[in-house]
Parts: sequence; C-alpha cells; structure tokens
Amino acid sequence: MSNTSLLSEAARSFLAAPPAYLDPGSGSFLLQLLLAGILGGLFVVKMSWSRIKGFFRRMFGRGQNPDEHGR
Amino acid sequence: MSMAGNLRPGSSFRDPSGFLFTRGGVLYRQVNRSYRAAYDQLMESGLYRELVDAGEMIPHEAVNVAPAERSLAALVVRPDPLDFVSYPYEWSFTQLKDAAGLTLAIQKRALARGLSLKDASAYNIQFHQGRPLLIDSLSFEPWKEGEPWVAYRQFCQHFVAPLALMAHVDVRLGLLLRLYIDGLPLDLASRLLPWRTRLRPGLLTHVHLHAASQRRFAGTAPASRTSARMSRNAILGLIDSLESTVRGLAWSPGGTEWAAYDQSHNYTPGALEQKRRLVRGYLQRIRPSMTWDLGANVGSFSRLAAEAGSTTIAFDLDPSAVDVHYRRCRVEGEKRVLPLLLDLTNPSPAQGWNHRERMSLAERGPADAVMALALVHHLAIANNVPLPLLAETLAGYGGSLIVEFVPKKDSQVQRLMASRQDIFPGYTLEGFEQAFRQTHKIRASERIEGSERILFWMERR
Repeated sequence: MSNTSLLSEAARSFLAAPPAYLDPGSGSFLLQLLLAGILGGLFVVKMSWSRIKGFFRRMFGRGQNPDEHGR
Repeated sequence: MSMAGNLRPGSSFRDPSGFLFTRGGVLYRQVNRSYRAAYDQLMESGLYRELVDAGEMIPHEAVNVAPAERSLAALVVRPDPLDFVSYPYEWSFTQLKDAAGLTLAIQKRALARGLSLKDASAYNIQFHQGRPLLIDSLSFEPWKEGEPWVAYRQFCQHFVAPLALMAHVDVRLGLLLRLYIDGLPLDLASRLLPWRTRLRPGLLTHVHLHAASQRRFAGTAPASRTSARMSRNAILGLIDSLESTVRGLAWSPGGTEWAAYDQSHNYTPGALEQKRRLVRGYLQRIRPSMTWDLGANVGSFSRLAAEAGSTTIAFDLDPSAVDVHYRRCRVEGEKRVLPLLLDLTNPSPAQGWNHRERMSLAERGPADAVMALALVHHLAIANNVPLPLLAETLAGYGGSLIVEFVPKKDSQVQRLMASRQDIFPGYTLEGFEQAFRQTHKIRASERIEGSERILFWMERR
C-alpha cells in the first residue's frame, strides 16, 4: 500500500466514521475498559503458551499436518 | 412505508447507514453517504471477499438502480435472496450457539483488517443453505485502537444471556427472546441464573459483572470515569473470552440419542416404508419449491421433500427434536432443510415496532406444500381445534397439503384422551373429510397398512 493510500485510509476513518447508532451502554463500555488489562494480559499469555506448545510439538515431530489442529 | 413503488420492510429503520427496500419484487439495500467510507473499507480491505469466500456473509452486488431515497444515497446493492427468514426465538440451542460463534469469528476477521462489527444482533444472522450467514453488509465500522467494542452489550444480550439460561436453567427460556426483541436484559439473566454460574469466569464477567456494571454506571458518560483504553490485545482478549464462554455452554437434548427420536412412533417397518413411499409419490406430483413440514420431529419426512428438490422448513414444538434435527442436518451437509422451533397453537406473531419488525409465520408464507403428518390429533384433540378451523388454517399455510388422519382408536390418540372426557364426537374419518372438503379437493388418499391411519393428498380450492 502506498503512503498516499495509507493516508487516505486514515483520513477516511477519522473524518467519515459511520454514525454509531447503537447505544453501547456506559456500564458495558466501562466494564470493557476496567477489564482491558486482564483481558489483554490473559490473551497474550494464551497466545504465547500456544506458541510454546507449537514449538515443542514441532521439535518432537508431531503436528506435521497443519490441519490436524485446525477446527 | 412506500415511496414511489418502493416497499421498505418494517425491520429496516434503525441504522442510519442505509436500509432495505424492494422494488418489482427484488430486494435491494441502499447504502447511505454517511456509511460510504466504511463500505469502501469493507470492500477494499478484502474483508468482504474473505467473508463471502468463507461462506460467512451473504454476497451482494452493486447495481445501477435508482436509490429509494436519493438525498441520502451513496449506492445501491442487491444482496442474494434468502429462501426463508427465521428469528432467534425459532432457533434451537445449537442454532443460536452457531450464530453466536459466527458473529465472533466475523469480528475477529474484521479486527484483523482494521474494522469492527458495530452491531451484533442475532437478527443479522440467517440460516441459508444449512449454514448461518451474516446478512447485513452495513454492520462494519473502522476500528481505532483504544476503542471498546460498541456491540459488546448487544452480543451479550442476544447470545450469551439466552444461551446461558438455556444451558443452566431450562432450554425453553430461549423463548424469552420473543419477548425481548433487543435481547435479554442482563440484570434479568443474572437474577435467573443459578448462583453457581458466578464460579464460571466467562458468565461471571459477561453476565453477572456486566449487569452490575450497567446498574452501577447507568447514565454516566464513560469518558468521565476513566482514561483507560482498549488495546488491540485487550479487544482480542475480549472476543477470545466471549468465544470460550459460548463454547463452554452446552445442552444435550433430553439426554436422548438421535436414534431414539425416530422410534417414537407407531409403525411397523413395513408401514413406515409404505408411508414414505406414499409421501414421496405425492411430492413428486406436487413438485413444490418450498415445503413446510409441520410437526417434523427430527425430519425423516422433511428429508423426502428435500430429496424432491424442495427447500423445506421443518417446524417442531420440541426443542430437543429441533436441536437433534439441526445437528443431523449439519453433520450430513443437508442444505435444503431448515429445522425451526414453532408451537403451531401459538405461532410466531408479527412484532416489534408497529408490529412490522418481525414477521408472523403466516406473513412468511404461503408455502407451495404443507405436510402435516401425525399432527392433526395433537391440534384437534390436545388443543381442541375444531376440524374446519384446522382445515382453514392449513389452507392458509400452503396450496398443496399432505395430511395424515389419525383416528381415535390409534394408541397415540388414546394416550391424549386418557385423562380427559371425549368431547370430540366429530373427530371421525367422515368428519375429517367433510371438514377438509370445505377448503380442499382430495386428490388421493390411502390407508397405511396395519393401522387405521389414512394419508391424504389435497389441493386448496
């Protein structure tokens, strides 16, 4: 993507965001913000853990078929 | 609402991003100028293509058609038509769970491309050719790091709360969605759920704490309370947490195995085969493209209509049967059958704003063919519906009718009458034929061997 198109993407999203027609609800908004640290932290731990598992799985020669662990 | 030959469905008015209209029998969606940038980002980011290719979103085509409201319009698109519109209160547990899973999967794909779902309404999902599908192409907005998920509350009300109640209290509580058109109030769900659900981190967070937070912060502006931001990892963590919460909700249909359902009838194998052959023969002569199978159970006869090339809506009263049927269709890749929950004695009404947001069952018809197999005794005897009224109602649902008369002598009818007086002197074969001749022409009829039951093929007069 060129610089100009990146710029226009950013400009578009700031200048012309569609109207938020749902009331997100103060309580629902604040709960997310209050839990943001925990949710983000748990997510990072989970992702790292699956990377570590993936590393060992590869090391011991299992999981050669990438579909094996897909849904 | 009608403007110069355009009809606007009563459900399409909330979102200023655009609306649906029909013209000349074709359904279009007007995209308004206020949504133009988000629409372009949906298309240009590759998200639209990704979702359509994954079979997760309905395809649409930009068309050169005059908009319905020119002053607002950016463009007009024509979405692929749906065979049938169904509503969350007509879905079984697994159907609602699949729709929830799809919504979250779409949100993850959107976030990866700088967009986010701006609504998470269960009504934006429809079952089409055996799979749930997002039907609203105006549901996305650009996501800027730092912003919480605008549709979090809606997702919890439409999906997490009803699924939790169905899994942890009683599956019939899914019908609360019929009462609360924007999803279950979380304070209500929190009160109804057993205390032990507070020990589950997902339900604790998304229902109980969520309800408490709504109570605590009602009417305050979020910005005044915190300067916290929602990082990318935080919003991905939120979606991940919702995913594992939904995945962790389980319900098994009455502890029964699938097979047990097919055996709850009165037929010898020979009689069952004969009944199948007769139904198949009638269907081949009717050649319906839309069939409603009323009282379909787990759909052994719905399958015959599908095999005859008909889209088939398989209604049943029993949430277990509908769930078993849906799971079976999903496993077998059956695309033409849609199992739905319906109580014929109190079918889905027209409701929502001005009674026009959600269509009644009748408004979604008529079908070409209606099947009512092993059903009339439940309506005429268990629910006291006089036979002429029954004939009239079935005539309203579709032109061709395959109907089975189950006489009083039948053990299933005896069971229904065991605890009550016989106030049905007119419930005889003669009475049945006489009632139905008022509304229908009998084209064929045959007794099912080894029983007193008679199968009819009728056409509406």
